[in-house]
Amino acid sequence: MRLAGDLLSTGLQVEERNRFSRLDLNFAFVILALNVIGLINLYSATHGLFSKDRMDLFWMQIVWLSVGWTVYLGITLIDYKVFLRGAYVLYGLNVAALVAVELIGKTSLGATRWLDLGFFRYQPSETMKLVLVLVFARTFANKSFQGGMGLRELAWPVFLLMIPWVLTVKQPDLGTATLLIAIAGSMFLFVGVRRAILIFLVIISAIAAPIVWNFGLKDYQKNRVLTFLSPGRDPRGTGYNSIQSKIAVGSGKVLGKGFRKGTQSQLEFLPERHTDFIFSVLSEEHGFIGSITTLGLFLILWLMSIRIAVQARDKAGALIVVGTLSYMFWHVVVNMCMVIGLLPIVGVPLPLLSYGGSGMLTTMVGLGLISSVAYRRYLF
Amino acid sequence: MNDFLQPSEDEAKEYLPRYRLLYAVIVLATIIISSRLWLLQIMQGSELRQFSERNRVKETKLPAPRGLLLDRENRVLVDNLPGFDASISPQYAKRLEETSDAVGEVLGVPGRRIADDVRKSQRRDGPFRPVKVKDNVPLEEVFRLKLLRWDHPGLSVNESIQRFYSLAQNGAQLFGYVGEISKEQIPKYNDFYQGKYVFESGDIIGKSGLEETWDTTVRGKDGTSYVEVDARGREAPTENSNYFGFQPEPALPGHNLVLTIDKDIQEAAFKAMNRQDSIGPRIGGVIAMKANGEILAWVNTPSFDPNSFSTRIPTQVWTQLVNDPFRPLRNKVIQDHFSPGSTFKPVVALAALQEKVITPNTYVNAPSELKFGRRVYHDAHRASHGNITVAQAIEASSNIFFYKMGIQLGIDRIAPYAKLLGLGAKTNISMAHEAPGLIPTSEWKLKKLGEEWQPGENLSNAIGQGFVLVTALQMAVAYNTIGLEGKVMKPFLIKKVLNQDSKVLQEFEPQVLRDATQPNEFGVTIDPAFFKVVKEGMRRVVSGERGTAVRSRLTGVEMAGKTGTTQVRSWSADEIYKRCDSRPIFQRHHGWFVAFAPADKPEITVAVLAQHACSGAYGGAPIVKDVMQAYFEKYHPEMLKKAEKEMKSLTLKTPASVNEEAE
Repeated sequence: MRLAGDLLSTGLQVEERNRFSRLDLNFAFVILALNVIGLINLYSATHGLFSKDRMDLFWMQIVWLSVGWTVYLGITLIDYKVFLRGAYVLYGLNVAALVAVELIGKTSLGATRWLDLGFFRYQPSETMKLVLVLVFARTFANKSFQGGMGLRELAWPVFLLMIPWVLTVKQPDLGTATLLIAIAGSMFLFVGVRRAILIFLVIISAIAAPIVWNFGLKDYQKNRVLTFLSPGRDPRGTGYNSIQSKIAVGSGKVLGKGFRKGTQSQLEFLPERHTDFIFSVLSEEHGFIGSITTLGLFLILWLMSIRIAVQARDKAGALIVVGTLSYMFWHVVVNMCMVIGLLPIVGVPLPLLSYGGSGMLTTMVGLGLISSVAYRRYLF
Repeated sequence: MNDFLQPSEDEAKEYLPRYRLLYAVIVLATIIISSRLWLLQIMQGSELRQFSERNRVKETKLPAPRGLLLDRENRVLVDNLPGFDASISPQYAKRLEETSDAVGEVLGVPGRRIADDVRKSQRRDGPFRPVKVKDNVPLEEVFRLKLLRWDHPGLSVNESIQRFYSLAQNGAQLFGYVGEISKEQIPKYNDFYQGKYVFESGDIIGKSGLEETWDTTVRGKDGTSYVEVDARGREAPTENSNYFGFQPEPALPGHNLVLTIDKDIQEAAFKAMNRQDSIGPRIGGVIAMKANGEILAWVNTPSFDPNSFSTRIPTQVWTQLVNDPFRPLRNKVIQDHFSPGSTFKPVVALAALQEKVITPNTYVNAPSELKFGRRVYHDAHRASHGNITVAQAIEASSNIFFYKMGIQLGIDRIAPYAKLLGLGAKTNISMAHEAPGLIPTSEWKLKKLGEEWQPGENLSNAIGQGFVLVTALQMAVAYNTIGLEGKVMKPFLIKKVLNQDSKVLQEFEPQVLRDATQPNEFGVTIDPAFFKVVKEGMRRVVSGERGTAVRSRLTGVEMAGKTGTTQVRSWSADEIYKRCDSRPIFQRHHGWFVAFAPADKPEITVAVLAQHACSGAYGGAPIVKDVMQAYFEKYHPEMLKKAEKEMKSLTLKTPASVNEEAE
């Protein structure tokens, strides 16, 4: 009886173990570690003196995390080529959602970014970042460019980029619009662009910059940039957040002030501390040790991703990983630089740490895609 | 399949050289961010830590004083009083036990309890939320606490504003009360006001009555002050500008409301309701309304003292109030609707006259009982009224007469008249939680209950039982309309909105909603002559031989009104004549009396609902009389005096002098 059972299960077990061992567990553990740091930190950020009405956000985040992990595992098991096949459909749907935002979107703080789906607010510009990665991966996967892409090769991808970009700028959501360019640009550069075009772009932007400054930007957007260049010019207004955030980070010193004891965060000197300024809370309460550990975990995540890209079965896989990696990378870099005063204040959340359903889901989908590529890689 | 889906290892290798660039960018970015963190947290750490210590420029809210509520003669009804409260900030209270003991000694509270409260709050809300130890600290204790502050960091004594209701229990439901906004209300309010007002926990809002309804007018705008606190939590003077040089923003006080209420009449009405006669203090409400719609008095009993929870209500007191079977928290005059009982008869009389069922001179036989269908309907009287006109039927409150009217009219010919006079719909007076009441129609019943209207129901509804439901305020409006012979006035409570410099921001004028004698949206009109007939009947209710409300007779001023007694439940035939006051209180009848005066040229209408008072004649009429008395003593003393003189001259005439005259 026992023997028969063993025999029967051995075959299955080999298969199972095989399937399980192909999961990149280290990759998942790094994500999990960041999740744990994120939750501890979010608890502190949402359970302060003035945050009674925000407490539920912590539990919502746990819900989003559970959904996120389910999606992560699901996507890992699906061949990423399925997503590539559907890339244009996803792209069409996402553009439609962006148009819908324009027509019937939810307005908050002067910007219209969300669609109210009842149980949550869906922000289409957030998912667009990943959909673009898929579309570009599909476009570039079967092509090889000697000496980089020329104008003709670039035309189609740039067109694909411009539609969501214009819609996002209109919302207005400058942070996301910039990130769309950064993600797409990273992929273009990775695939290769002719040197002449790059030089041309540099010259064009040098000419265009003053024109955009004078005619393209709204006053509050100009203010942010000016304030960044000289934070003292309006300390109560636009410079306030930047100064307070720097004070928060610095005052954490080596070990930090302790869990829930950050005066800057808990006494509301930091605005939006559960979303865009979540890293200030962490740096203040857990000091250099805490902030450098978090940054280190992100670095490990990126390096692992590059390794997965190198081992990818095909070009499409590599491109998906590189695209998603640039999504993660730019978010983290822009957010952290903003918090520590290296960039002007733009509304970019920190992946895995900031509160937010759309962001959390998109990030977990992206990581799931990387994991899916890893699952099907060649093992050298 | 497309060829991009083919695995192509060789092609993937094409990318290999590019990864070096990728590594470089990632590592470079990490190094930049790390160095910046190093600079801020290690190199500048001590300096920035100091900043953050000094940075305890606390933005604190300066609560705006709420606007005052004044009566029609600008006498203050709801006021603000300066007060103090004491609190302890857990973050600074390093020696909590000692501090609690010292504070407890001054306040006469066990120190243990204070320390426990502070610790509990710290666990729940973190160390930064100051814990209120006591509201409304008396002055002598304030001084002693202020001295304690220097030895006990974390202890603070703050100025606060206490809302003071000068009439205490009187009008508690009218003025309402204030309290801290609840956790559930915050998002609701913020959604509703869309940034016009931003509510946070700890904010005081109006929770009922005028305080709630007029909250945004009365609340003002909170200011901000920037208080610099040192590392031990003691406030430093703010004159030397802090790190950012913030300017404080003073609080803008709310607007004052001048009410239509007359404090004297309000007090008379409250006193009248709390009378000590054989029935005892009444449960219910009074509305006194001027003919132009201005509410003079608005009383609900039993009541509560809102001063006792202008800051924080002890849970015990609150549960007691909520569970009180006499429901002291409710605005019974608009929030609860009741069967009008016989007070509905004048309305049916108007319908019958206008619909030509009867003329003013038609005599109808009104025996003591009437058989209709398989049921026998009884009159309240055991003897027959004989043949009577409509005016006499109102005077004697004959049920049988109005049963007959009900049978001939049918509910659908009664309803439009009731609605025309203002019954069965919200009056839209500016007060939250108004009940609409109900004037049924056969269509309504079919739609709502899915049943056909039964002919028998015409009878019960014609005497104000059955489905008909009204509020006391609606009754006042309807009777005022009868008094004015057609003009439906909108009742209102606010005369003016004043700013702090007593400048008038908004003024409310009397408003004629419609004229019942002219064509209107209800599709029926009432002939002015018929109003006169009904008024005559109502005059006799008070002054006539067979009148049911002779107890409200006022010498010098003639009133017109109607009593009503409504059954709380139906009784079997043998029980129906049982003495009402021998029953348990919640089974006793409700009593109504609604009247206007002077009968020929009305100035004031008073509606009284006395729950479980057994009858309108005993329960309601004496109260109306007291309120009327107060009104005419104040506004027309000459009328009362003249009558008094006449009375005196009558009684002074001795038989002898009469004889002399005879001679």
